[in-house]
Amino acid sequence: MADVAGPEAADPRERRTRPRGIELLLVAVVVGYAGILLVGPLLGLVWGALRGGAGPFWRALTHPEALHALKLTLLLGLAATAINAVLGTCAALVLVRDDFRGKRVLNGLVDLPLATSPVIAGFMLILLFGRGGWLTPAVEALGVPIVFAVPGMLLATVFVSLPFVTRELVPVLEQIGTESESVAYTMGASPWTAFWRITLPAARWGLLYGVSLTFARAIGEFGAVLVVSGSIAGLTETATLFVYRALDERNPVGAHAVALVLALFSFVLLLGMEFFRRRRRRSYRS
Amino acid sequence: MTPAAGSASAATAPAPARKDAAVPRPWGRWGLRATAIAYLGLAVALPLAAVVEQGFSAGLREFWRNVTGPAAADALQLTLLMAAIMTAVNVVFGVATAYVLARYEFPGRGLLNGLVDLPFAIPTLVTGLMLVVLYGPAGFLGRWMEGRGIQVIFARPGILLALLFVCYPFVVRSVQPVLLGAERSEEEAAWTLGASRWKTFWRVTLPEILPAVLTGALLCFARALGEFGSIVIVAGNIPGRTLTAPVYIFGEIESQNPRSASAVSIVLLTISFVMLLLVDAYSRRPKAAGG
Amino acid sequence: MADTRRFAVWLGAISLCVPLLEGCRRGEPADGAASKTTTLLLAAYTTPREAYRDAILPGFERAWKEKTGAAIEFRTSYQGSGAQARAIIGGFEADIAALALAPDIEKIAAEKLITHDWKARPHGGMVTNSIVVLAVRKGNPAGIKDWADLTRSGLNVLTPDPKTSGGAMWNINAIYGAALRGHTGVAANDPAAAAGFLAGVFKNVSIMDKGARESITTFEKGVGDVAITYENEVLTAQAAGEALEYVVPKSTILIQNPAALVDTYVEKHGTRNAAAAFLDFLASPDAQHGFAKFGFRPVDPQVAKEVETKFPPVEDLWTIDDLGGWPKVLEEIYGPQGVWTKVFADKSAAP
Repeated sequence: MADVAGPEAADPRERRTRPRGIELLLVAVVVGYAGILLVGPLLGLVWGALRGGAGPFWRALTHPEALHALKLTLLLGLAATAINAVLGTCAALVLVRDDFRGKRVLNGLVDLPLATSPVIAGFMLILLFGRGGWLTPAVEALGVPIVFAVPGMLLATVFVSLPFVTRELVPVLEQIGTESESVAYTMGASPWTAFWRITLPAARWGLLYGVSLTFARAIGEFGAVLVVSGSIAGLTETATLFVYRALDERNPVGAHAVALVLALFSFVLLLGMEFFRRRRRRSYRS
Repeated sequence: MTPAAGSASAATAPAPARKDAAVPRPWGRWGLRATAIAYLGLAVALPLAAVVEQGFSAGLREFWRNVTGPAAADALQLTLLMAAIMTAVNVVFGVATAYVLARYEFPGRGLLNGLVDLPFAIPTLVTGLMLVVLYGPAGFLGRWMEGRGIQVIFARPGILLALLFVCYPFVVRSVQPVLLGAERSEEEAAWTLGASRWKTFWRVTLPEILPAVLTGALLCFARALGEFGSIVIVAGNIPGRTLTAPVYIFGEIESQNPRSASAVSIVLLTISFVMLLLVDAYSRRPKAAGG
Repeated sequence: MADTRRFAVWLGAISLCVPLLEGCRRGEPADGAASKTTTLLLAAYTTPREAYRDAILPGFERAWKEKTGAAIEFRTSYQGSGAQARAIIGGFEADIAALALAPDIEKIAAEKLITHDWKARPHGGMVTNSIVVLAVRKGNPAGIKDWADLTRSGLNVLTPDPKTSGGAMWNINAIYGAALRGHTGVAANDPAAAAGFLAGVFKNVSIMDKGARESITTFEKGVGDVAITYENEVLTAQAAGEALEYVVPKSTILIQNPAALVDTYVEKHGTRNAAAAFLDFLASPDAQHGFAKFGFRPVDPQVAKEVETKFPPVEDLWTIDDLGGWPKVLEEIYGPQGVWTKVFADKSAAP
């Protein structure tokens, strides 16, 4: 499996050459393609957001509903990431270290959210927790509103961002092996201590990469929360839903401003992702 | 916004645990197992069961009717078609990008390498918005293209563009590590024997990266099937022309046809999931062969 | 390193609790009697958002404060009428549903969420009127004069998707009805000819947005030559500075928008008094004038007379009853063998 199992080159940089002749053309074509595809739209977004000037941009951004939407996005992102980080690690440990019938089914379940369109994810929650839903009597007894309220949006976000921690950790845990842990056990360490002190530190870059992917996915969620939230302004509206509504309300500056904030935040996340990814690859070479 | 695990492949079912593997004491192991099963069971299996139940709740014939109705069938066909075209284009440019990143040194190489992951980080809704701003009737490129009679937004090219953006990293990240880790000796041997660059690539490099290309392509395709956020902004919603399956499902949910929505969802889920299973099975082959 | 990890996990666990707590807190039913602030959840369709936000809701908040001395707070959600009805049926606990057409309210009543006779209110439960018009760009460059122009070859017509948009259904009713009444160039009282005309118009439709509002904003972005829409949508757009005009067809339908309180949820939230008072307010001259300011034709005949000059007259203005009433229309036009259903199916089949 690429990037994890195979041995890396001594130093890839030494094997790269400067392009000559027709190779230059190839590089130009690729750079041009990436530029038009990726950079163009980004620049367009910046232009759209700042077109009316910095004043309207700032005003739109500091509107209470915009701020609430951004705050809600951040909270949902953190919460979903926390849940998936803890439980995803648990699942990864079970998939790698444990053995029982039906383990392959579990593995498939981890992948399922990737194959699921976000609208279907939101729809699933409506089926489970909406009127007449399978779990509705249970939650109603608990008095916790799920659909058209924040908890439902949290569940939707957890679902769509579920696979990443587990998928990143599984190959890393396989790579690490169990020798160090076995040694720790023979020295009398408890499973908890072995996990905290041996396993986790060894897997930390893979885990952090998975966490950053999870967070990025959670922040960007749209389709599922669109279906499940009711889009109540100032209450159940995330940043993406706010952008969607702002487009409807003839508030292009507001839409573009919040979209730009999301894009910039994604950039920062991207830097983090790259950092963790490189650290993880480097940790294999040693 | 579903990045592949840096390895750009589905979670390979891990090798069975060795009996002597260090596992926590029995109660710990059961606790862990129970947690994992509860987590995945409640978070994934249960919602899936709800959709399946809803889709078949009126019987098989009704399910079939919902799936083969005019708008539904068109939406599924369009989705598959757009995904296929996009994947083909993406394979070409993805392999080219991976090759360029792995083999050449040039100013801006690092920036390009980072940018490739951008679609993983950006919300799909923002992607759609950016495309409309740039290619819409009031946008820079949009005005230029409209002058030439090419409509991008609210037409099929717009859908293609959105999918190309969102799925760009899959093939690149799948192929790049293989190129980096590959043995250069065969390539170099081919050059010294007088083969042209292109021939070398075609005969030597390509066969080696083919599994990774296929893996990336399958992931790319599966991802494209479910894309919603960018397409709902950028497409025009006309059945047979610009209405994709996820947007169709959304419409069915909104107009209170849960059974119809479930039926089409099940079809979409099945196709995507089969793709992921293929990726899983395929990416295990080289490991078994290589030992 | 292990300590940092532990800290991170705790931080994550805490941040997990915050949204849960916040969500639960919001979910508590508003106790109108005990607490000082009552919260009403208004679920409306896409079009009247400016009217509610800038005139109606502040007006009611003032009136309520005067009458009871207590404060009232509104939570609002605006989506396509059909989508909103679906949400309410699916568990969206709206106290008041202000939708685009009577059938969407009936859908909610059919699920026993509305248990009173909502039509017994003044004006048959309606709160605003409008008409179906043809929105064009300033100066009417496409030269649209009436319905018949919409079948012109090469024209790009915008109208929303009736699956989710109430406005779209009004549009289709208007086209079909005007054709039946002989104002579109096809033979009058000939359902087949009217259906043919409807198909002809839809041949020119390339985008069907989710709601009336989305449709008009698409038009404003430069897409399309003409948009079939509510009169009040165009007036709102003009007020927002858009360069739009509208053509009033010779024959068009009177759009009537209902509002009702949702019994199940007002009972649950204890907000029945406030909700009923709000509905009374909607029928009051104050609110009717407020709606008129935002381009809605008033349901109150007195107010309608006062704002007459603002709205162009329609030569042949008819209502849904002239098509046989909603139940008949839902069957004949949107039913499984309905006129629209067939047009839509043919459109999908066509290349």
